[in-house]
Amino acid sequence: MQDEIISLKNEALAQISSVASVTELEEIRAAYLGRNGKFTLLAKKIIDIPPEGRKTFGITLNESKIAIENLISDKKQELFKKSTEKRIWFDMSMPGTISEIGHYHPMTIVLKEVKQIFNYLGYQVADGPEIENDYYNFEALNIPKDHPSRDTQMTFYVETGGTKPAGETILRTQTSAMQGRVMSKMKPPFKVLVPGRNFRYEQVDASHGFEFWQVEGFVVDENIHLTDLFGTINYVLQKLFGKDIKTRFATTNFPFVEPGVDTYLQCTICKGKGCSFCKGTGWSEIMPAGMIHPNVLKEAKIDTKKWNGFAFAIGLSRIVNLRYQIKDLRTLTTPDMRILSQF
Amino acid sequence: MTEAGLTCESVKEINGEQVLDVEVTANRPDWMSVLGVAREVAAIQGLPTKFNEPKKLPKPSKSLPIKLNIDFELFDRWVGVVMTNIQIKPSPKWLQDKILSMNARPINNIIDITNYVMYMLGIPMHAFDYDEIRGTEMTVLKAKGGEDFTSVDSLSYKLPKDAMIIRDTERLIDLAGIKGGLNSGIKNETNKVFLHVTINNPVSIRRTSIKLGLRSEASAIYERVPDKGGVLRALTLAANLAMELAGGKISSEIIDIKKSKFEPWKLILTFERLNRVLGIKIPEKDVFKILSKLNFSPLKIKGGIDCTIPTYRGDIKIEEDLAEEVARIYGYNKFPMTLPSGATNPLEIPYYFDDTFINGLKEMMVASGYTETMTLSLLSKELIEKAGGKAENHVKLINPVSSDYEYLRTSLVPSLIPALKLNNTEKLCLFEIDKVYQKNSGKFDEVYKIAAITRGITFRQFKSIIDLILSRLNIRNYKVEFDSTKSYLHPSISSSISLNKKILIDYGQLHPEVLEGFKLDGEVFVFEGDVSNLKLFTKNSVFKSVPENPPQIEDLTLVLPEKTRIGEILNLVSDFSNLIDHVELKDVYKDSYTFRIWYQDAEKTLTNLDVENIRNGIIAFVKTKFGATINEG
Repeated sequence: MQDEIISLKNEALAQISSVASVTELEEIRAAYLGRNGKFTLLAKKIIDIPPEGRKTFGITLNESKIAIENLISDKKQELFKKSTEKRIWFDMSMPGTISEIGHYHPMTIVLKEVKQIFNYLGYQVADGPEIENDYYNFEALNIPKDHPSRDTQMTFYVETGGTKPAGETILRTQTSAMQGRVMSKMKPPFKVLVPGRNFRYEQVDASHGFEFWQVEGFVVDENIHLTDLFGTINYVLQKLFGKDIKTRFATTNFPFVEPGVDTYLQCTICKGKGCSFCKGTGWSEIMPAGMIHPNVLKEAKIDTKKWNGFAFAIGLSRIVNLRYQIKDLRTLTTPDMRILSQF
Repeated sequence: MTEAGLTCESVKEINGEQVLDVEVTANRPDWMSVLGVAREVAAIQGLPTKFNEPKKLPKPSKSLPIKLNIDFELFDRWVGVVMTNIQIKPSPKWLQDKILSMNARPINNIIDITNYVMYMLGIPMHAFDYDEIRGTEMTVLKAKGGEDFTSVDSLSYKLPKDAMIIRDTERLIDLAGIKGGLNSGIKNETNKVFLHVTINNPVSIRRTSIKLGLRSEASAIYERVPDKGGVLRALTLAANLAMELAGGKISSEIIDIKKSKFEPWKLILTFERLNRVLGIKIPEKDVFKILSKLNFSPLKIKGGIDCTIPTYRGDIKIEEDLAEEVARIYGYNKFPMTLPSGATNPLEIPYYFDDTFINGLKEMMVASGYTETMTLSLLSKELIEKAGGKAENHVKLINPVSSDYEYLRTSLVPSLIPALKLNNTEKLCLFEIDKVYQKNSGKFDEVYKIAAITRGITFRQFKSIIDLILSRLNIRNYKVEFDSTKSYLHPSISSSISLNKKILIDYGQLHPEVLEGFKLDGEVFVFEGDVSNLKLFTKNSVFKSVPENPPQIEDLTLVLPEKTRIGEILNLVSDFSNLIDHVELKDVYKDSYTFRIWYQDAEKTLTNLDVENIRNGIIAFVKTKFGATINEG
């Protein structure tokens, strides 16, 4: 009987030693020490042993069981330690399941950034009508009827069924139309940002559409200087395109500003070397601006002896173009997931 | 040059000469001339311009009559002179080359001279065949409209009303400021000419030019108003050349009829204003130097500079115009950069717009797997009607680019539908938040809407976004109608959610006729909501403290008759008792609906008996109200 116990114990120990997984260990434990395990069955045979031999039988049995349990425990530790070493293969490069989240439109992304930049500078956002009066869109901006500069902003006229005089109701061609609206309803000082859609009668091509988004800004306060305008433009462009960008200012003419300023940004794509994006010049015009013409302020009944200001406009589509290097403006109003999922 | 305002587009070498291509802004007609550009370069570089003033014209050898009848509404000034003994022949090579370098065609000596003067001085002029001026009398007047006119280019036009024309005693001989008439133009046999220079009403020129679709180099200058004080010099230059190159003799006094003297005017630039506009103090002597280089004849006075503005600078009217001149010649890129120093005004501006709400909606949509798109506001009658709408309800343009873009949208949906064709994916979820344009008896309103379109998802998946929006905005107790006014929705599968009679969201399946009209198939769902109405009923949530004791969660399966509104059951069972925290629809199998109910008391743990009582109450309630039976299985 003693021999049976010893040989069974050795059998068990041998099996345990060669085990490769914890599951197997548990199977062996069950097979030998479980309810129907070999040792349990063997223990039942104590009845067959004469009483003098039972004590030794019991001791040997117990010792064997303990030995097995100990080896199981050691083996478990060993297996556990092994599993935390770098020996198992697991493919970490498997692609994750497809994310279900959608995308913001690039104009939304860029506009949010623009608003944040101007919030920091103390600007409030205004939103105004796209169906506008000729007065606010042109006359209040020192552009009388029949002025040649109206040529650069061909206008869409709205059918009013005779309820308004002819030619008065139009789709606004510039967000600058909000200057007159805000200025006539509020005393300075103020800093205003107007993002918005404009309409111009244009031939549609890769860089022109008849619906486009601009961000207009204007400031009226005591002692506003040209240096403040240059500084604001430079600050904003650096925030949008990085500290390393280069800007240059040039004189230009719009009826509603004097002095008039045009801003050139060094092409962010070729870094000024010249490419198809900047038509080989290395620079692109980005921000027309200027000191608000006294006639505009006077029209809004603002005392030009005390107050003056500056105004600027930037094409939102233009920023998106430069930021993402989108060559064709029409991409922005095309509801194609192959485009939209890139943002 | 570009930095100072005259944008130089390109420099090319043509026939050994450098040819500059410049872009002239509307305020600088004086730059539409060689002399003007030369003056600009001279001012920037501090160099003198070399221009030989034309010699004074000799007294007339004989006096031929010419009568000019002016209208000061149409012409500010009219100068002219008659010349005889003219021999029309090709211009000498130097003059032909100059004409060619301006991309124009040399014609003959007299015509080339008039063009040469225009290119040199920026003042257009015209030469008439004197013998063709019937009655030796010219009158400028407005056309009645419909008159026939044949130009020197042998093209015929029907003139619009109020076009500026010149007539002799018998016929129409000139479309003033735009094109000369063929009948009075220079021919090879011409031996007497009347040279004239006029300053025309720019508005009239522009309007006529636009109506006729006819522009000339001359009319482009006239729209911007040439140098009113330089006309005599232009005439003198032309006459001198005509004497030299065509053998002409002066045969009349110089006629000069003008509305006013057109002389240089005075303008004072104060240092106070200059410094305020610029933000820097340019040394006074440098300001003086700049104004001098620009030919403004500066004189020092106390606190400023007294300038005399030459007549070719009609754009210099106020101090700020002079400030710009100083700044641009000084160089914008030499200025330091500062930020406005004033304090921020906390008062809310008119038209103030807070986009927090719309951003919140966008966030919800993107997080739920919808992609934002932006479409055009303008659309065609065809698109409106294909989406079930009526064009006459829409704001219309008088002069659209094309019929594809003739109306302003009243809904975001029609422009989203084509996206279904544009995308090949099985699953598509797009949204847009932007303005639509409504017209209400002469008034135009611009309203923000949110809309979405889906394909490849089930109704319940689609509905989840609507439930999400309403729940995150804490909008409760809204009314759900199984009907909608939106003509793009399926009549049986459409709904309208409203609160206090204001519609919040319309949603449903796309109308089968609309699907067909677009040649689409599949299950397409759409919703459109009114942003301001949603904002109106949005509430902040009040925090519910988390009870310490656990809820009892139980499933209850009901067999429901056809046409039962599950939404209603969920709402009513939820509200049935304070001790019901919430109810969810867990499973659907044929007509069996399994609801999972969370029973919760904030104060204590509910006993089985407590729950049983409530449950029995629910069962009795749904049996009576909905005809439900309990599924024991």
